[in-house]
Amino acid sequence: MNRSLVNSLGSIKRELVNFSHSQKFYFVLVAMAIVAIVPLFVRSDYVIGEVLTPMIIFAIYASSWNLLASSGQASLGHAAFLGIGGFASALLAIKLGLPPLIGLFLGSILSAAIGLLIGLACVRLKAWFLAMVTFGFSVIIVTLISQFDSVMGGIMGFPTPLLVPRGVPFYYMTFGFAAISILIMYLVMKSKIGLTFRAIHQNELEAKMIGINTGKYRLIAFVLSTFFAGLAGGLYAQSIRYIQVSIFDPYYSFLPLMMAVIGGLGTIEGPIIGSAIIVSIESYLPRIDPVLQGFLHPLFPSVSNVGPPLRMLGLGLFLVVVVIFAPKGVAPLIKKAYNYLRSSTSEEKT
Amino acid sequence: MITTSGLIETLLWGVANGCIYILLATGLNIIFGVMKLVNFAHGQLLMIGAYIAFAAATALGLNAYIAILVAMGLVALIGVGLERFTFRKVLGTEKLNEIFVSLGLIYVFENVAVLLWGNRSQQIASPFQGLQLSLGEVSIGYDRLLAISVVIVILIALFLLLKKTKIGLAMRATSQKSTASMLMGVNIEKVYIFTFALGAALAGAAGALYGIIFPFNPSIGALPTIKAFAIIILGGLGSIPGAVIGGLLYGIAENTAVYFLGGIWQDAIAFALLIIVLVIRPTGIFGEKGE
Repeated sequence: MNRSLVNSLGSIKRELVNFSHSQKFYFVLVAMAIVAIVPLFVRSDYVIGEVLTPMIIFAIYASSWNLLASSGQASLGHAAFLGIGGFASALLAIKLGLPPLIGLFLGSILSAAIGLLIGLACVRLKAWFLAMVTFGFSVIIVTLISQFDSVMGGIMGFPTPLLVPRGVPFYYMTFGFAAISILIMYLVMKSKIGLTFRAIHQNELEAKMIGINTGKYRLIAFVLSTFFAGLAGGLYAQSIRYIQVSIFDPYYSFLPLMMAVIGGLGTIEGPIIGSAIIVSIESYLPRIDPVLQGFLHPLFPSVSNVGPPLRMLGLGLFLVVVVIFAPKGVAPLIKKAYNYLRSSTSEEKT
Repeated sequence: MITTSGLIETLLWGVANGCIYILLATGLNIIFGVMKLVNFAHGQLLMIGAYIAFAAATALGLNAYIAILVAMGLVALIGVGLERFTFRKVLGTEKLNEIFVSLGLIYVFENVAVLLWGNRSQQIASPFQGLQLSLGEVSIGYDRLLAISVVIVILIALFLLLKKTKIGLAMRATSQKSTASMLMGVNIEKVYIFTFALGAALAGAAGALYGIIFPFNPSIGALPTIKAFAIIILGGLGSIPGAVIGGLLYGIAENTAVYFLGGIWQDAIAFALLIIVLVIRPTGIFGEKGE
């Protein structure tokens, strides 16, 4: 056990060195620099607080889901962990007076601990059953949580304590958390542990036959994934001002799956691209709601606002279409377009 | 207060609720058995079935129990479309893709229902609404008794279909070994379409019965799906008698839990059963082989 851990850590270190010499590294540096200087050019509070910050938080959340899925375990109930992280971190800070940073950390640990329990129940199960159990967990936890309205604040929720002021400082803080979290997840996925995850995903029986303790690695994936989901939940609770039981809504289980699958399942950039796409849609598309309502209302008289259901319908269709026609997501398409552009420009030179 | 008549009533209600879930679980089970596909949007087909029956009963003025047939037919058609245009494309690729597609379909169905019928709760008007059959201190609504009989009729028809007809034979052959039955001249694609339509029709019937007994809205689909999963796992994946017994056990367990422990346990019991059975005996009580 100790030896394999040392080996894994060694491979992580090697990967870190390799990574810093690769071309990708410079690309990532440029991307991070752009994210870092955006607040200098964008002065709108709405864009920073309601679009870019959620985008970063959901990038962590979707990456955590993606990490679990890379081991072949598709969770349909990740909202449970987002909610546990969010409520635990906020409650610890308010009721016990802990500093928000400690609350955030303990909330993530609690989420990982519950993730370990669910993971233990799922460890022998195949993809469908695991999806059923996690799906069931996310639906049932809403019912159970609503029994504790006195602590959870009911539908209204309660205000969350802040680590740093909202706006630009909060943006930089989530950016810092995201950079560290996604780097850790990248290193895990590139290390021997990640290789094992992929082996289990492709063929669990064969992975077992070559001596991999598949149960152990599936649990590792569960614990890591739910830890970062809890962290994303803690950050999200701070960013939306009020934490409410609606954070357990199955919609929040659907989002990371959607983001990872649309961006590119099993890749590190996929969930980030997916988060950017989905959060942009969710933030800017509601602006055309009044227009839609204007000419669609006669068709659908029983709905007071056709925008939200139409958007959800569109997202559902989008997911189905992506899975059928572009099962690797849009990230490879972007890469292909980039390569095509580069090759066509270099041809012109020669 | 716990009384004998209260207990008997609880059992009867449990059987009636269980019957609706038996239909849903049997549909899921047939689809899984033949196609090795788990449709997470099956509960949404139930919801659509309830709305179709509701529309048939209000707009066309049909008797609620005749509207069940309309719901079965139309939901079966939807099932044909689903199999043909979505699931067939991902069948045989990665297992996760099927899960993703059915998850996308959940959002498609729920929001189509919201757009067409709005968010308000509805209930199908039955000619027997509010009528109770009283035997001593025990009383049960006619609608619940009728639901039980409708389910028994459908299950007998299903049994005959599977055991006595050619397509039933083809379905059973495919469920045992699809490649071998293909070599024996079974048209697998046709069998798949028929199977999915059959499973969807059962969900449609379950939806119509659900709509007669309970009020419903576009978001009711998720819980019945989980309950159907719990039943299937209780009875064993792919086993239809298992689904029937599992459904009865489940309905009784749910109502007994409500009777003794209170309403909040009604939905939690499904999940508790799911976890307990999966952890203790992953093949289910009547299941033969683990999947």
